[in-house]
Amino acid sequence: MRSSKSIAVLAVATATAAALAACSGGGGAESADGRTLVNVSLDPGLEQGAIDAFNTRVSQFEAANPTIDLVPREYKWDATTFTTQLAGGTLPDVFTVPFTDGRGLIERKQIADISGQVAELPYAKSFNEKVAQAGSAADGRMWAVPIAAHGQALHYNRTLFTQAGLDPDKPPTTWEEIRSAAKQISERTGQAGYAMMTSGNTGGWIATTMDYAFGGRTEKLDGDNAKSTVDTPEMVKALQTVRAMRWDDNSMGSNFLYEWGTINQDFAAGRIGMYVSGGGNYGSLVAQNAMKADDYGVTALPLSGGANAGVLGGGTLAAVSAKAPDKVKAAAVKWIDFYYLEKLTNQDAAVADAKSTADSGQAVGSPELPVFDKASFDQRLGWIQQYVNVPLKQMAPYTDKMFDQPLVPEPTRSTQQVYALLDPVVQSVLTDRNADVTALLNGAQTQAQALLDKK
Amino acid sequence: MLPAAAPPPAAPARRRTRRSPVSWVRGGGLGTLVFLLPMLVVFGLFSWSPIVQAVVMSFQETNLVTAPTFVGLDNFRAVLDDPLLWTAVKNTLWFAVLALLLGYPVPLLAAVLMSEVRRFKGLYSALAYLPVVIPPVVAVLLWKFFYDASPTGVFNTVLGAVGIGPVPWLQDAGTAMVSLVIEATWAAAGGTIIIYLAALTSVPPELYEAAEIDGASVWGKVWHVTIPQLRGVLLITFILQIVGTAQVFLEPFLFTGGGPANATTTVLLLIYDYAFANSLGGDYGSATALSLMLAAVLAVLSAIYFRLTRSWSTS
Amino acid sequence: MSDRGVLSTFDWRKPRIRGTAAVVHAILLVLLFIAGLGPMLWLAKAAITPTQDTLRHPLALWPNGVDLANLATAWTRVQIDKYFLNTVWIAAGSWFAQVLVATTAGFALSVLRPRYRKALSGVVLATLFVPAVVLLVPLYLTVVDMSMVNTFWAVWLPAGANAFNILLVQRFFDNLPREVFEAARVDGAGPFRLFRSVVLPMSRPILGVVSVFAVIAAWKDFLWPMLVLPDPAVQPLSVRLPALQRFIELDVFLAALAISTVIPVALFLAFQRLFLNGGALSGAVKG
Repeated sequence: MRSSKSIAVLAVATATAAALAACSGGGGAESADGRTLVNVSLDPGLEQGAIDAFNTRVSQFEAANPTIDLVPREYKWDATTFTTQLAGGTLPDVFTVPFTDGRGLIERKQIADISGQVAELPYAKSFNEKVAQAGSAADGRMWAVPIAAHGQALHYNRTLFTQAGLDPDKPPTTWEEIRSAAKQISERTGQAGYAMMTSGNTGGWIATTMDYAFGGRTEKLDGDNAKSTVDTPEMVKALQTVRAMRWDDNSMGSNFLYEWGTINQDFAAGRIGMYVSGGGNYGSLVAQNAMKADDYGVTALPLSGGANAGVLGGGTLAAVSAKAPDKVKAAAVKWIDFYYLEKLTNQDAAVADAKSTADSGQAVGSPELPVFDKASFDQRLGWIQQYVNVPLKQMAPYTDKMFDQPLVPEPTRSTQQVYALLDPVVQSVLTDRNADVTALLNGAQTQAQALLDKK
Repeated sequence: MLPAAAPPPAAPARRRTRRSPVSWVRGGGLGTLVFLLPMLVVFGLFSWSPIVQAVVMSFQETNLVTAPTFVGLDNFRAVLDDPLLWTAVKNTLWFAVLALLLGYPVPLLAAVLMSEVRRFKGLYSALAYLPVVIPPVVAVLLWKFFYDASPTGVFNTVLGAVGIGPVPWLQDAGTAMVSLVIEATWAAAGGTIIIYLAALTSVPPELYEAAEIDGASVWGKVWHVTIPQLRGVLLITFILQIVGTAQVFLEPFLFTGGGPANATTTVLLLIYDYAFANSLGGDYGSATALSLMLAAVLAVLSAIYFRLTRSWSTS
Repeated sequence: MSDRGVLSTFDWRKPRIRGTAAVVHAILLVLLFIAGLGPMLWLAKAAITPTQDTLRHPLALWPNGVDLANLATAWTRVQIDKYFLNTVWIAAGSWFAQVLVATTAGFALSVLRPRYRKALSGVVLATLFVPAVVLLVPLYLTVVDMSMVNTFWAVWLPAGANAFNILLVQRFFDNLPREVFEAARVDGAGPFRLFRSVVLPMSRPILGVVSVFAVIAAWKDFLWPMLVLPDPAVQPLSVRLPALQRFIELDVFLAALAISTVIPVALFLAFQRLFLNGGALSGAVKG
C-alpha cells in the first residue's frame, strides 16, 4: 500500500502547498539572520554600469546599518500597472511615484504614514514649499518625500541639427522656430523633426505642457470644486501647432504611439530631432538607451507670450508601502534619506554618490530643479563639480534659463485620469488629418468634468 | 481491502439503502473523496468561487481601497453609458470580421493544396507550423518592428521596392486593426492548417471516386466532396475563432495599447483598463459587469449558431 | 486509409493538371518559406547587426559589419537564462497541476463512480461555458487575498481548474474496458492501486493530449502571468520581454528576441513529429 499512500499524499499536497504559499507572500519580513528585510526600487533595463553603481550604494548602506538587509527590486512607476501593484500589495517597500499621485495616495491612506520619521530628518523643514506640498497631507504632515523636481524642456539631437544645416548652439526659442526647425530636419535628414508622446497618459502630459506654455490651464479650483478647462483657446492653439507640423509640414515622423520609454529609445537612436520631456531626462537616456553625449542637446521650453505662460513642473516622491511594519518603515526612511536625499544635503554623501555614479560610466550633473532652496542646490553642485561628466555646455541653453522660467505645478485633481482622456485626443490629431480638435476637446472636457465631480 | 466493495454497475440497486458513515468509508467513499480532492480544491478556489464572486462584484462598487457597497445596476449602467464601450464593441466585431475574412479561408486553402503535395510534405507542414512555435509575445514584438511606419521600416522597404507605400500600419486608425489581424492570422494559421490536414486524410477516397464517375472536375471535387466532408472541423474552428477573437487582448495591448485614438481598443482591453490601468484604483465593479455582459453575448451567439447549423445540417 | 486526396492517379497522369499542381506547389512552398522562415531569418540577421544599420537599411546584409557583442549583451542584460527557466517552471507546474487534477478527477468520476457523480460533472462542465474573461478580475482578487501574487502557485493552481481536461480524461476512462478494473478488484486492488497500476498506464494517449495542451497554453499565456507576477524575478520571458522593449537599445533587444526564439524552434525541430502530431491530435480531439 506504499504507492497508494504516496498518491494520497500527493493529492493532499496540492492543497497544503497552496496554504503554505499563502504564508510566504508579502513584504516586510525578516531575513534569515534576523536583519530587517527592505525591498527597494531599482530602475528597469539598466546598463550594467548603472546596476553596479546602485549595488555599491546598497552595500555602503548595509555596512552602515548592519541590522538592515536591502533587497533591490526592479520597479518604475507606470500609469498602466501601478494600480495593479498597489492593489496586489506587490510594490517594493520603498517606491517612487510622480507628484501627480501623491495627494490621492495619502488621502486614501494607500501609502504608509512616515511623517513622524520624516520630521526627524535634519532638513525636514527646508524643502521648497511647493515641492513639499506634493508629498504632504492636507494638514501639512509629509507622508511621501520629494526626491527630485523637474521642469519640462525641449530635448534635441545636435547631430541631426548639424546635418539639417541648423546651428546646434542656437536651438529654437519660439514655437514658430520649433516648427521651421522640425521641417528642415525632416526634409534634410529624413528623420522626425519633432516627435511627441501620446500613450499611457503621456499624450495628456505633453498636451498639458504645451497648454501651459501657451498660457492655458486644464483645471480651475474653487474651494472644493474643480472645473475642467481642457477645452480652451490655449489648448486648441497647442494642438493646432502640432497638427500643422504633422499635416502641413509632415515633420513629425511616422510613429504616433510613443510613450516615455519608446520616445527616449528613438531619440537616443537618432530618429528624432526634438521632443518635449522632463529636463533631467539625460540620466535615463544614458542609463537605459546608451545615448551618445555628442548628440545630446537640451533647451528651455519656449513660452508663448502672455503672463500666464509657464513651464509645467513635476517631480518624484519616494513613498513607503502601506503594508510595511514599523521596523521596515523606519529602515525605509533611512534608505530614502541615504539614497535619495543625503546626496543633496550632505557633502560626503554627495561626493560618494557622484563618484560611484561617475566611476560606473553613468551621468552625473544632469539638470534638475532644487528640491530644497537654490542656495543648497548651488552648494551641492560645487561639491560634485569634479565628477560632473555630462556635456554641460550642450545643456547651457536650458540651464541658463531654467530658473527664470515661471514653473507651474501639474493639475491636482484626477491628474492621470485627465491625462488619459487626452491621449486619444492627441492621437487623433496626429493620425487623422480631419480630426475636429474642438469637438474632441469638448468631449474630453465633459468626461474630465465628470471625473472631477466624482470626488 | 474489502473485497465486498460492490462493482459500480450494481450501484443503482443500492441507491435507496441509507448508509452509515462507517459503511460509506468502507464502501470506498473516502477513497473517492481523496481522488476528488485536488479537483474540488482547485475548482472551488479558482473557478466556482470566482464565478460567483464575479456576479456579486458586478453589483458592487469595489476597489480594494474602500469597503464594497451594493450599488444595484449602477455598474451596468455606467458601462453602457461609457462612450468607449461602443467603440470597443465595434472594434471587437471589426477584428472578428477581419479575422474571419483572412484567418478562415487562408489556412483552408493552404491545407487543401498541401494535402496534394507528394514530395517533401514534411517540409511544407514544418514551414507552415514554424510561426506557431515562436512565442506569441516575441512574434508581436518582432512584427511591431516590421510595422515601423517610416519609409525605412521593414515592410515599407519591401513594399517600397515595388512602388507601394509607405503604409502607416499601426499608426493610422484605418490600418491599425488590419495590421493586428494580419499578424494574428500569421501566428495562428499553422495550427489550423495542421488540424485541416489531419481532417483531410479522413475524407473517404470512395467519395472522390464517386464524384469522378459523375465526371466532376478537380474544383468540383473540392467543392462538393472536400469542403462538405470538413464541415465538422470547419464548424469547430469557426466557433473557436469567434470565441477567441471576442477575447482578443495580446495584439492590441502590445501593438498599440488600444490606439491610435482608440481604434484598436477591444472589449477585453476595456475590461483590463477598468480593472487594472486606472491609477486611482481599479473599478472592479464595472470590469466584472462588462465581462458578464460579454459572456452573455458569447453564450447567445453560440446558441444561435448551434441552432442555425443544426437546421442546416439536417436539411 | 488512402494515398490519394482530391486528385486521382488518373488526374496525376494528365500533363495539364500535373503542371498546374507543380506550379501551385512551388508557389506555395515559396510563400510558406517567406511566411514561415522569413521573419526568423531576418531576426537572426538583425540580432547581429548594429542598431543604425537595422534602422536605416533593414533588409541589407551587414552594410557595416557584424556586431556579435549584441548577443552577449542581450544574454547578460536581459538575463534570458533566468526568464527562460521561469517559463519552464511555470509550464512544468501548470502541466503537473492539470494532469494531477484531470487524472484523479477523471478516475473518481468515471471509474469509482460515486453517487453524486452526475451533479459533480455537471458543475465542472458548466465552467466550460464561462469564458475566461469573467474570471479575470475575481480570480486576480482571490490570488491577492491568498497572498499568492509573485509566486508560481498563482499560475499553477488556476491552470489546474481546467474542465476541458477533465472532460477529455473522463470520456477516455469511460471507454476503457471495465472488465480490466473488475479483474484488478478481484485481485484485491484498492482504488489507489487500481489508479496507479491499471488506469494510469492505460491512459498514456490521453495524458499526451492533455500534456500538449497544458504546455502550449502555459507557453502562450501572457495576461495572467503579467497580472500575478509583477516581480521580474519570477516572470516568464513572455511577460519580461515587452517590459524591457521600452528600455533597451534596439539591437540588443532584437538579439534578445532572437535568443528567445531559438530555444523553442530548436525544440520544435528536434521533436517535429510530436508537435505536428500533437497539433493534429488537438484538432481531432476538439473536432
